[in-house]
Amino acid sequence: MAAAATMVSSAGGLLAMLNETHPALKLHALSNLNAFVDYFWPEISTSVPIIESLYEDEEFDQRQLAALLVSKVFYYLGELNDSLSYALGAGPLFDVSEDSDYVNTLLAKAIDEYANFKIKAAEGNDESVVVDPRLEAIVERMLDKCILDGKYQQAIGMAIECRRLDKLEEAIIKSDNVHSIINYCIDICHSFVNRREYRREVLRLLVEVYQQLPSPDYLSVCQRLMFLDESDGVASILEKLLRSDNKDDALLAFQIAFDLVENEHQAFLLTVRDRLSSPKLQPSESVQSGSSEPDSVRDGNATSTEDVQMMDGTQVDNSVPHTDPNDAIYAERLTKIKGILSGETSIQLALQFLYSHNKSDLLTLKTIKQSVEMRNSVCHSATIYANAIMHAGTTVDTFLRENLDWLSRATNWAKFSATAGLGVIHSGHLQQGRSLMAPYLPQGGAGGGGSPYSEGGALYALGLIHANHGEGIKQFLRDSLKSTNVEVIQHGACLGLGLAALGTADNDVFDDIKNVLYTDSAVAGEAAGISMGLLMVGTASEKAGEMLAYAHETQHEKIIRGLALGIALTVYGREEEADTLIEQMTRDQDPILRYGGMYALALAYRGTANNKAIRQLLHFAVSDVSDDVRRTAVLALGFVLYSDPEQTPRIVSLLSESYNPHVRYGAALAVGISCAGTGLSEAISLLEPLTSDVVDFVRQGALIAMAMVMVQISEASDSRVGVFRRQLEKIILDKHEDTMSKMGAILASGILDAGGRNVTIKLLSKTKHDKITAVVGLAVFSQFWYWYPLIYFISLAFSPTAFIGLNYDLKVPRFEFLSHAKPSLFEYPKPTTVPTTTSAVKLPTAVLSTSARAKARASKKEAEKANAEKPSGAESSSTGKGKSSDKDGDSMQVDNPADKKAEPEPSFELLTNPARVVPAQEKFIKFLEDSRYMPVKSAPSGFVLLKDLRPNEPEVLSLTDTPSSAAASNAGGSVTGQQGSASAMTVDEEPQPPQPFEYTS
Amino acid sequence: MDPKFTEVSQIFQLFKAAFVRKDFDTCIKLLSQLKVMLTEFKSLPPLFEEMPNAIQERTLARDIYEHAVFLSVKIEDQDALERDFFQLKPYYTDTYGLQPSSQEHPILGLNLLRLLVQNRIAEFHTELELLPSSALENPCIKHAIELEQSFMEGAYNRVLSARQTVPHEIYVYFMDLLAKTVRDEIAGCSEKAYDSLSINDARQMLLFSSDLDLVKYIEEEHPEWEIRKGFVFFQRAKESAPCKEIPSLQLINQTLSYARELERIV
Repeated sequence: MAAAATMVSSAGGLLAMLNETHPALKLHALSNLNAFVDYFWPEISTSVPIIESLYEDEEFDQRQLAALLVSKVFYYLGELNDSLSYALGAGPLFDVSEDSDYVNTLLAKAIDEYANFKIKAAEGNDESVVVDPRLEAIVERMLDKCILDGKYQQAIGMAIECRRLDKLEEAIIKSDNVHSIINYCIDICHSFVNRREYRREVLRLLVEVYQQLPSPDYLSVCQRLMFLDESDGVASILEKLLRSDNKDDALLAFQIAFDLVENEHQAFLLTVRDRLSSPKLQPSESVQSGSSEPDSVRDGNATSTEDVQMMDGTQVDNSVPHTDPNDAIYAERLTKIKGILSGETSIQLALQFLYSHNKSDLLTLKTIKQSVEMRNSVCHSATIYANAIMHAGTTVDTFLRENLDWLSRATNWAKFSATAGLGVIHSGHLQQGRSLMAPYLPQGGAGGGGSPYSEGGALYALGLIHANHGEGIKQFLRDSLKSTNVEVIQHGACLGLGLAALGTADNDVFDDIKNVLYTDSAVAGEAAGISMGLLMVGTASEKAGEMLAYAHETQHEKIIRGLALGIALTVYGREEEADTLIEQMTRDQDPILRYGGMYALALAYRGTANNKAIRQLLHFAVSDVSDDVRRTAVLALGFVLYSDPEQTPRIVSLLSESYNPHVRYGAALAVGISCAGTGLSEAISLLEPLTSDVVDFVRQGALIAMAMVMVQISEASDSRVGVFRRQLEKIILDKHEDTMSKMGAILASGILDAGGRNVTIKLLSKTKHDKITAVVGLAVFSQFWYWYPLIYFISLAFSPTAFIGLNYDLKVPRFEFLSHAKPSLFEYPKPTTVPTTTSAVKLPTAVLSTSARAKARASKKEAEKANAEKPSGAESSSTGKGKSSDKDGDSMQVDNPADKKAEPEPSFELLTNPARVVPAQEKFIKFLEDSRYMPVKSAPSGFVLLKDLRPNEPEVLSLTDTPSSAAASNAGGSVTGQQGSASAMTVDEEPQPPQPFEYTS
Repeated sequence: MDPKFTEVSQIFQLFKAAFVRKDFDTCIKLLSQLKVMLTEFKSLPPLFEEMPNAIQERTLARDIYEHAVFLSVKIEDQDALERDFFQLKPYYTDTYGLQPSSQEHPILGLNLLRLLVQNRIAEFHTELELLPSSALENPCIKHAIELEQSFMEGAYNRVLSARQTVPHEIYVYFMDLLAKTVRDEIAGCSEKAYDSLSINDARQMLLFSSDLDLVKYIEEEHPEWEIRKGFVFFQRAKESAPCKEIPSLQLINQTLSYARELERIV
């Protein structure tokens, strides 16, 4: 009772005192009530009107105290709005630093309110929205306090939320670690700022802040600038770095260029490249270099690269004795950076990597081939698809070559796909693409007798080879398109053209395709619709209206579907800007257009995890009358959520148990898309039951999705991968399995081992920028439901998982780094073994143990010695080095198994540049301290420029082994031979074209 | 001795003297001064800081407020009465260690009476519940309880006759007021019960001694009544407010949408 003795039981006395006439009494009552409000608010609440009248009494000098009291009472009553408005009236008495529930709640409320005001003001462009200055004052007080207390992250969060860029800047500048704070800022900006326009503003501010810093982080700055689409800024930074005397700056410039290329923003890269000023040379040379460059650009028919010609030009420059050395260096660097920016350097290196590290397992394919029934054309072409996907980008077409007879069973569209599959296998083979496909391409004149299906397929293949880098091939494809009126060829040409000219918004090309569309042929029209979308990707151009009008006009479902997807592609990444179009499409009578609307939602809000979009999609997923629309709506969730893969299984888990098989199918693919390559455990758990669903197409979708999730995940890290592989095998071998799920299983085994087991599906670049090609590829891929040849679009989403270190010459030096994890966690899956075919199977990766390390060093030294002895003729020595290093590799492989048996598995392994580094492995990658090379930025994968700490020692290069050197005897080989001798660059390292083969039908 | 305490006691002496002299103006002035001074004592409710002379201070404060209550009755200020009573109340309910005051029960009874007069029956009962059962036996409180019972029963004559049996002289003021409350109550009832009444009946019913008083009362309190041809017409007080409509359409829509949602089981 002691406590009770010191406590009044009622506030009645104090409340009565409020009615006293003497102000001193009122004041006494108020201040006491204020102290006791936490206990007596129910009693006080009945007297609120009296206190309110005190607050409104202009003559009463303690109005603010009254306001504070009322505010607290309202707070307890749960009337936060009233509470806030009185708290504002309380002025300075409302103490933001007080740590009570009341203050915290109201502050949160105040900030929310303020943010709402600001957002409304910003979005409605409505100047009339006047923010209460007192509210502003409170928020500012809070922000200042956070900054003073060193809680910069809170301050930044609030400032961004409240659109107070001035405060944001202040917080960043005052923080003790500007770089990390800016990175934090960028992170939240990408994950929490939903409005695109505002995000741009914030990023622009960040760039400004960056540039004020004494040592700007150019890598980050350029990434931001790219997001803002400010090519000038990037170009000027690059130029500054290139002109620097310091070699390291040039390396940094190259690194920036590689990082930008990774984001696949073709149009932007091209403008940056064109903005880079050409070197100031003496008139005569400038004419020379000036003439050679445009030539190569214009000369679209020439399949030889710009690199070659530009290189020639600069070599001439260098040889001119009176050139300013600085300019010469700049010119040389400029050539390199232009090569990088055009994407050719990275594509070439990736191609070499994929070829040299190809670990695809031909035996799996053979098993599939043998188990598939002869007459079942679906499975037959599925096998062809699987082969193409397995060897995507590796240029290895052994399987096709060995099975020409079997291949010839493909007729009509299957033939189309078989030919197009070559494009996937050789994708990125920019220089040789044309000559590779030559035997199948339509011959200029009167359709030379080749089947239109293989001709169309070849054109599609060209598009796949040149996807997103199609400057060289565009013209040829246009010509082919114009010169034919066979709809199959038109189909192939449209797809090819769309791929090659991805996102370039080229009006001439658009008109060509439009002409095809207006012929109103179902087959060609469908491809034309998709192609128009590919061409206009992310431009939000008004052409979409035109397409929509035609979609209403035509009778052909196929054309409508193609157009619907095409329209969806045009709004890629436009977020709110696309809302009107999305609204228009999702309200359409025609289910196919609604279906397109789902894709539009998916692509416009790709990777934003935008709540509004998710809500809309979920709504359609459960309410639309058309199964197609429902399926797509669920599938689209995968695109919206790919930046946050952990979310997806949770969101679609209910849908995956739907009674409607289409919804289940959509759920499976949604998980497959958003969790691709992550091996996320929840995703696998969700998909597992679906792989044995009662409905065949759900099984198909689940198997494909599972393969997408598990790509490059080793059995050691998740045992379910092994289970899944065996399940696939079982399905393929089972005679009674439905065709649909069998096809799914075949495709799944292709995706699981995609690109020679060296690629993964990645929709985000390392800087969290969306990879437009990859997203578009997956979106069109998901159309295979209607049109199997579109399966090949998945190859656009593949990105090599490699660490490729490059020196100043953009060559790959041999050096070692550490993967601090058990080698078995990330090794290649064991090849399937059948005693009779072991010869066809490659050996497992060399695993270097601790003792092997010393040996490796020794052998490396040996190799260096060997190289040093050889006279340094440019090409001969490089190939020689390649061979010798190859030999070393072989000898290590031979040594290794013995070591492995002797001792337990080591906890780390040494990788040799270039090496396969799967995404999960990235966090284990470390660089050796005593290494000769130091990376410019410590990235665990991708292209990394290396600083040579011992430039005087001779370098050992790897990645010089040329693919299929045996084929050098044919005509194509001699062509490359000439080119190789003509250029000092790495043309001789390029894969040679394989021998053409003919269908024997 | 605390000088402040001495000062307050002195002023309180002055106040008491003035109170006895019935110099109420001086009283009011002094009282307000006293109250302000009391706010400076930390030992008083609601702070209850323990001080050596806390008991004395609290006793003095209680005394002052008791006088304040009586003063407000004398000057016939019901609001002031209410205020002072509530300020006094903590001294009765929460302050342990004080000698019970001889004035406690009369004042509590007074408060009950006030509530009765103001026709605040709910609060009347609330107050009643707060009293210990022993207090109910006290004549002052018993008086108020009996009055309330008669009042509720409608035995208005008993209410009026109770004026003669007041337990404390100070209650007389309220007994007069009570007559008015009774009259209002009757007027309210007749309004509902009759369409019209003859002036004579009305006068008797409303306990007026003369028709003039009645007319005056009607003019002041019920201007909506009409006096015509020797009758008082009670205007059928505004038509009863239409019963709240059931939002049937909204409900139907809601139910239908639930049904639809149910059908869409995912």
